[in-house]
Amino acid sequence: MTSGGVLIAAALLGLLALLVACLSAPMRARMTELLPLAPIPALLAAILSKCDASLALPPALLGATFVIDKPGAMLLGTAALLWIAAGIYAATFMRADTDRGAFAVWWLLALVGNLGVFMVADLASFYLFFAVGGLSAYGLIAHDGTSTSRRAGIMYIAFALLGEALLLMALVLLSATAPERTILIRDAVAVLSQSPSRDIILALVIAGLGLKIALVPLHVWMPLAYTAAPIPAAAVLSGAAVKAGVIGFLRFLPFDAASPEWGSVLAGFGIISAFYGVAVGITQSNPKTVLAYSSISQMGLIAAVLGMGLASGDGTTASAVSFYAAHHVLVKGGLFLAVGIGLSSGSRPTWAVLVPATVLALSLAGLPFTGGWLAKLAVKPTLGAGWIGTFAALAAAGSTLLMLHFLRCVTALPRTAQPVPAPAGLLLPWLAVALASVVVPWALYPTAVQDGYANALSLAGLWDGVWPVLLGGALAWLLRARRVLMRELPVGDIVVAYEAGARAMMTRGAILSNADQVLRGWRVASAGLLAVVAVLAATLVY
Amino acid sequence: MIETAAATGAGNAEAYLLVLAIILPVGGVLLSFLLGSRQAERIVLCLLPLGMGIAGVILADVWRSGKALTYVLGGWTPPLGIMLRADGLSAAMLVTTAIIIAAAAFFARAKFSTPRDTNDERAPLAFWTLLLAVWAALNAVVLGYDLFNLYVALELLTFGAVPLVSLDGRAETLTAALRYLLFALVGSMFYLLGAALLYGTYGTLDIGLLASRVRPEPAVYAAGVLMTAGLLAKTALFPLYLWLPPAHAGAPAAASAVLSALVVKGSFFLVVRIWFDALPGIFNAASAQVLGALGAGAIIFGSLLALQQPRLKMVVAYSTVAQIGYLFLMFPLIIGTASGMPWTGDAWTGGWMQLFSHAFAKAAMFLAAGLIAEALGHDRIADLGGIGRALPMTTIAFALAGLSLMGIPPTGGFVAKWMLLTASAMEGQWWWALVILTGGLLAGAYMFRILVPAMAEPRAALQASVLRHREMVPLALAVVALLLGLVPLQPMELLQIGRPASLQGAAP
Repeated sequence: MTSGGVLIAAALLGLLALLVACLSAPMRARMTELLPLAPIPALLAAILSKCDASLALPPALLGATFVIDKPGAMLLGTAALLWIAAGIYAATFMRADTDRGAFAVWWLLALVGNLGVFMVADLASFYLFFAVGGLSAYGLIAHDGTSTSRRAGIMYIAFALLGEALLLMALVLLSATAPERTILIRDAVAVLSQSPSRDIILALVIAGLGLKIALVPLHVWMPLAYTAAPIPAAAVLSGAAVKAGVIGFLRFLPFDAASPEWGSVLAGFGIISAFYGVAVGITQSNPKTVLAYSSISQMGLIAAVLGMGLASGDGTTASAVSFYAAHHVLVKGGLFLAVGIGLSSGSRPTWAVLVPATVLALSLAGLPFTGGWLAKLAVKPTLGAGWIGTFAALAAAGSTLLMLHFLRCVTALPRTAQPVPAPAGLLLPWLAVALASVVVPWALYPTAVQDGYANALSLAGLWDGVWPVLLGGALAWLLRARRVLMRELPVGDIVVAYEAGARAMMTRGAILSNADQVLRGWRVASAGLLAVVAVLAATLVY
Repeated sequence: MIETAAATGAGNAEAYLLVLAIILPVGGVLLSFLLGSRQAERIVLCLLPLGMGIAGVILADVWRSGKALTYVLGGWTPPLGIMLRADGLSAAMLVTTAIIIAAAAFFARAKFSTPRDTNDERAPLAFWTLLLAVWAALNAVVLGYDLFNLYVALELLTFGAVPLVSLDGRAETLTAALRYLLFALVGSMFYLLGAALLYGTYGTLDIGLLASRVRPEPAVYAAGVLMTAGLLAKTALFPLYLWLPPAHAGAPAAASAVLSALVVKGSFFLVVRIWFDALPGIFNAASAQVLGALGAGAIIFGSLLALQQPRLKMVVAYSTVAQIGYLFLMFPLIIGTASGMPWTGDAWTGGWMQLFSHAFAKAAMFLAAGLIAEALGHDRIADLGGIGRALPMTTIAFALAGLSLMGIPPTGGFVAKWMLLTASAMEGQWWWALVILTGGLLAGAYMFRILVPAMAEPRAALQASVLRHREMVPLALAVVALLLGLVPLQPMELLQIGRPASLQGAAP
């Protein structure tokens, strides 16, 4: 076993040990304080592994195989960092919560799933970690038990199960149609371009993972979920957990051969989501909801990059996208934690809070010298100079608009009569994430793009970062100056339509119950038995 | 080939275990009637470890030798004598049966112990003897290799199972039991008619001999169709499920667990024996598609109805109607397929994994549902709020079992689902994949409909306390269903032991 393999094993075993410890009620009650320790081995594994650290478990342990490659390491490392910081934050944030034991269990389960999905290399285990992470997020979303969060949880789980079913079929087809029924994702995807089932597999992957990253119109669960989840949970879900979808795309899309049709489909849905998220987001007043819509927009942009990379068969897509996504892990996590800081102090934010929050917000918009600027530069070559590239740049202007709106929402949070400064247990981990969102992208940039800093620090690079922010700022000023009033759309916007549809189906349930009554009558059942005899006999005779 | 197998079996000490596996519980039944209900309970408790040990040794022997274990009663080889035979499949069934019967027995002690002031009480005596009878019958079903023996075993199974439904003597459970009895009897008649036709045509009911003699001719067609239809009625395959929901939901929890986990699987097992072992090559791809279509109907319809039920035990019962459907997807994915070796394919292993994982998961669910109903004094889903806070272990058992039914990894249900999906993909029969995935989603829906309120605050107020060690039983069963998820996702060798070489019968 390599040293990297030891770290992978340690990462998983440590989590397992904490989960087992949760069986004891007193341990469970104190578990929130141990949450920050859980992701440390994974962080070390991501930093220390010089690419392709691997670990293969014996068949009795599912025969799971783990590999940390470059895209995986970027996402694993930043995700682990966020989980650690959010864990420290949660220890303080959840201190008064009577049900924090259950919260810790769901947290650890979601953590296992999330970290595992970045490392796992075989088909069945990918699904295992994807499903574990996906389902346990339910417990985090519905944690506070109000009817709003319960509704959010149900909506989330319905979409998560649907996405997992689609992905499962894709994985089964990948394993069944590949020669020698390979189990390694890498081998299965290598022959995907020639596979007779290529189209159906790609369609299933795009639909299943598109659900996970909330592409419009399958996005409705995301605003509900992030609005309902407690702040630290919303931070890890929006920052880290959603990246399970991104790593899935990186693993399963065949970037070795150009697939223009499917690439265009993905890019099209991505661009639509990028604008849709902004358009609905600016009508919202809850900062958590605004951030959720910003995630829809950002994930849409990632989908656009993935789509363009797939369309042209661009082998560098994986490292560019993972870099972009890694930045988003930190910045979105940091933004959610900022909402909690604003809520906890109950006063008008001080400069010490406002400045980092603004840096985070504008980093998402791609302001020069922030991490977001580097992220935008990294994916620019893949997006290309065509109309998708132009739209992507305009989407950055939209992000600026949305982030300025977010800052206004945070400053407008309700004030308490006696404001208290935010406790250090919240402030410090938040500042650490904010700092990391700038430092980590600068450190990783040379490994993600070929020509390193040279390209970034050019006039053209600077201008690419500046004009969308200026445009977005101007738009924001215009909307405000003209006093454009926007009607606040319901959280989850078209979720209302989905729910109406579901209710309409439920009312049809009476038809089924009637059919049940009929089928369970003696006469019909006896006729059924004779019919079975007749039909079976017919198959033999004819 | 049969003769050589029998010859090796006769000299083998382990072969006697096949007889013991049936004789012991039968003897227990007789002894119980003599000694009364207090002793009956003790007899069951003594026989459980014995029976488990026997099943374990048989499994180990079959696994190690890689050959079916046979025993020829009285040394007469068929057609004169009667043979018992344990292939890999029977051995696995024996072990599953023993574990679930034991779990049900431990669970039932709180309810069916004889009161201190008496040595004999009607309900306990009935329960313990019926449990032993069902156990004996199931062992006879999986070991029998003669269609008439199997008929006797099937009848014993029915007569053991039916009274279990109405142990409490309430009018509604009596009605349910009567429905079950009548429909099962019709099924038996169909089966017996088919067996008689075969005997008249070939002069034997030994499965091995029949396999080498059957020809595609009208009498065999009629026999095969009648026996299949009869067994489907006993398995409660859609649309022949009229008796199952009231019977399984009305029985005491321990009995429901045995009925849903094991009894319906007994008749399913015989469908497989007849299609693949006794009458190989008779049924064609079209007949298999019919069975698959009925299975698909069961999955969709049963799951949708489970979603509508107002009571917890009814949800679990309708979920059984649905889960039985998956078993029948095995047939279209095996018969008429391109590969000549059905047993090494994914469908065979997937189908059986579904049977085993459902057995453990469903037993766990019924026991957990029983505890919840006892603790709350009702099992209305609308009023289950906060039960997860009051009975966390039981709720976790219920949820884990539910994950297996939904096919979420790492559970046995996932292994089954993955392999059946793989088989559908490899055979190009995508319509089954669609049904399997939809069924999984619907299972998720009916599970979350229960679990969401169960996990909510505030903690539910309990009418009666629940013993900790009874809570352990469903949890242990659910953990077994979970551990089955560690089975590698590839055709399993154990299930191939003792299978005929191919589906084309009438070997020269």
